[in-house]
Amino acid sequence: MTAPVTDESARVTSPLTTAVTATADTAGDALQRRGIFTAATLDRCISCGFCLPTCPTYALTKDEKSSPRGRITLMRALETGQLADDDPTLIEEASFCLGCRACEPVCPAGVHYGELIEEWRDHQWRGDQRPLLVRPLMWMVDRTWRYGLAATIRRHALTRRHTDGPHLMLGCFERMLFPRVSRVTRRLRPELDATPIQGCCGALHAHNGELERGRELARELGERLPGTIVTTAGGCAAHLSDVLGRPRVMELSEYLLRQGTPPLTPLLVDGRRARVAIQDSCHLRNGMGVYRESRELIRRVAELVELPHAGTCCGAAGSYSIVRPKDSRRVLAPKLDEIQNAGIDYVVVVNPGCQRQLITGLRRRHSAIRVLHLAELLGMAAE
Amino acid sequence: MPSNPAGGASVTMTSDPVTSRVDDRLLADLEAVVGEQHVRHTPGDVHPYSRDATPLFSSAPDVVVFPASTQEVAAVLRLATERRVPVVPRGAGSNLCAATVPVRGGIIMVLTRMEQIVEISAVELLAVVQPGVTTAMLADAAAARGLLFAPDPGSRIVSTVGGNVAMCAGGLRGLKYGVTRNYVLGLEVVLATGEVLRTGGRLWKDVAGYDLTRLLTGSEGTLGVITEITTALLPMPQTALTGVAYFPSLAHAGRAVSGIITDGVVPATLEFLDQKCIGAVEDYAHLGLHRDAGALLLFGDDGAPDVVKRNLQRMADRCAAEGAIDITVGGAVAESEALLEARRCSLPALSRLQPLTVLEDATVPRPRIAEMVDRIDQIAERYNLLIATFGHAGDGNLHPTACINPADGDAAVRVERAFGEVFQAALDMDGTITGEHGVGAAKLPYLQARLGADQMALLRRVKAAFDPAGILNPGKLGS
Repeated sequence: MTAPVTDESARVTSPLTTAVTATADTAGDALQRRGIFTAATLDRCISCGFCLPTCPTYALTKDEKSSPRGRITLMRALETGQLADDDPTLIEEASFCLGCRACEPVCPAGVHYGELIEEWRDHQWRGDQRPLLVRPLMWMVDRTWRYGLAATIRRHALTRRHTDGPHLMLGCFERMLFPRVSRVTRRLRPELDATPIQGCCGALHAHNGELERGRELARELGERLPGTIVTTAGGCAAHLSDVLGRPRVMELSEYLLRQGTPPLTPLLVDGRRARVAIQDSCHLRNGMGVYRESRELIRRVAELVELPHAGTCCGAAGSYSIVRPKDSRRVLAPKLDEIQNAGIDYVVVVNPGCQRQLITGLRRRHSAIRVLHLAELLGMAAE
Repeated sequence: MPSNPAGGASVTMTSDPVTSRVDDRLLADLEAVVGEQHVRHTPGDVHPYSRDATPLFSSAPDVVVFPASTQEVAAVLRLATERRVPVVPRGAGSNLCAATVPVRGGIIMVLTRMEQIVEISAVELLAVVQPGVTTAMLADAAAARGLLFAPDPGSRIVSTVGGNVAMCAGGLRGLKYGVTRNYVLGLEVVLATGEVLRTGGRLWKDVAGYDLTRLLTGSEGTLGVITEITTALLPMPQTALTGVAYFPSLAHAGRAVSGIITDGVVPATLEFLDQKCIGAVEDYAHLGLHRDAGALLLFGDDGAPDVVKRNLQRMADRCAAEGAIDITVGGAVAESEALLEARRCSLPALSRLQPLTVLEDATVPRPRIAEMVDRIDQIAERYNLLIATFGHAGDGNLHPTACINPADGDAAVRVERAFGEVFQAALDMDGTITGEHGVGAAKLPYLQARLGADQMALLRRVKAAFDPAGILNPGKLGS
């Protein structure tokens, strides 16, 4: 017969045996805080786990450490020194997180996870720890003249006059990858001022471990573009509104709903209304709560087809698709299935990262479905 | 060694040292069973499994395994029994009594890879699922067939059916629909020594032998690991409506609740918020609640439209007769949903008041709810704590919720003492220390007061019969 597990047997320990401690992992216990995280934000999590079903990386792994709650538990261990800075799980999970913030709207305690992941990377990715691939990108957008050169190569929108706004922000990536978006936007709303020298919103820095530089860039941009800033990139909108305040920032769909569009003719495909789906921008939806507006606009020109997971991340996630291409594709795959099975003509995006991600993904699958920015779709309907 | 401020009495680590003996050989054997990629043992990888949804309890396992089949579960348990290493089965880790905190280290066995809905039978009104299926997944799959999976714990979007059964989860519909145990028809369970049993089955009537299905339901992972569940379903009610009534005091609301039931209505929904809750919810969600009211009562029913409508009217009439200040009855499903918002917002609203929210679930006989909340308020005042109470008026299940800042001196200690008195008050009223959250590590110190020494001893003998080596979730029920 097997002997029961008793206190006697417990005295035999092994090298792998860890000490069992029942401790509070929030403030007030014996463990010292290191000040890596804003205490009030980190303490807010009640560990209920409601975020688990919304997390794309948890869906891939079904492992607690790759969930928002698990990552907060890891952050707390980092904060209190229970886990060291160079713990491989800490390094991996800080990077594996998409930063999509899908966990925020469902959180009953209102944890600002987006702030925590930025603080985490700010600490974890200091110096050599920053992913190699993201460094040249950050270098590129850090000075206005560098991507200013792009204007001479790519024909994005430009206006020479200087006004108090409203200003059309020319996102660093969008102006290079999809210059048409800003041109069409100015056709829809000609009063938008597209000054060439604007600067970067700083989201890339903030999400990649240079939180303060990211904020500084946003403030500089705010000074160069006084008044209302209109942006066609959901990611930029969310970061700018975090730093400059919500009233200064309007994402395109919000702006168009408020200011109106030129007369629109419904788009037809084979004599019927075009069938159009939307892929939300994570930070626009989860950070700013803006997602109804784009749908409202699509409905004016086409039949809106709601994808079951339109609100979940496509895997682009800022620089994620560059830093972790394999995981990015794993996140994308089920989304492409959904898009291909929806019987649609177009899929609309409101962020250049999502645009690139879906175009690449659908091209790889030889799909005929076209990816358009919301501005481009409305531009077609306005012609 | 740092002690646990709120549960210091429960997890006495110094007198009860580590019993886990995980070594390289065991790791290799575990990897041979479930595959290398399904075994985690580095400090960072196991740390996220040190806790569940229970505040103040944290203890790291030595290793985490993710079995994919009953055979793998059995093989892991045989290894654990042979080496006398603790095993704590875990679903989503959303329980509120530290039931899945590995207080003695060892193996956390995560069952989320076993997530198949094996069968839904509309003819037999049952579903067969693996333990890692979430409650919401099962409910949605049943609803797609026009069927209702009745148990609806607050954590349903994340909780697993295996976890629901292990904890005998409750929910908002307890009075009319009962709780998880009322729906479990049969289980496949693996004993600590590796035998695979099937208890019960697909039958509503089956008295062959002791009712092990019911014994395992709510056994909190201490008697066996549940690997398949056969659960009863119901036809989906055609409609559901809700009303809300405000009362000058909880005592008034309590009389209305008693009246509703003696009138012959068994409502699907009967939830209350005390005055502190109403204030917190209103501050947070701005729903336009009457913050001067002493109590808010949500009442509702589901079923055939004419029956539901009639029952809502009878309940509204009874509320009026018992002195309700204001009554609104949702005429449409959407209006009814909006009314429920006050209840849904209770925990979010309270959890924003302070960094730490301790949610308890003392339960008393239905007619004594108002008296119990009075006692809770007195205790809270004596300990200088904010304790707001909401809960299920239909089944007497209260959720006194303390909102504290652990950095505030001895707040955590005061909460522990205050809740000790709350539990005693519940027992004095023929109530219980936990209605639906479970015992786990958090309530173990209070269990003897509820059960008495003889029953505690019997629990230990039952535990020993199922798990002679004592490897399954040690430091919890039956320990």
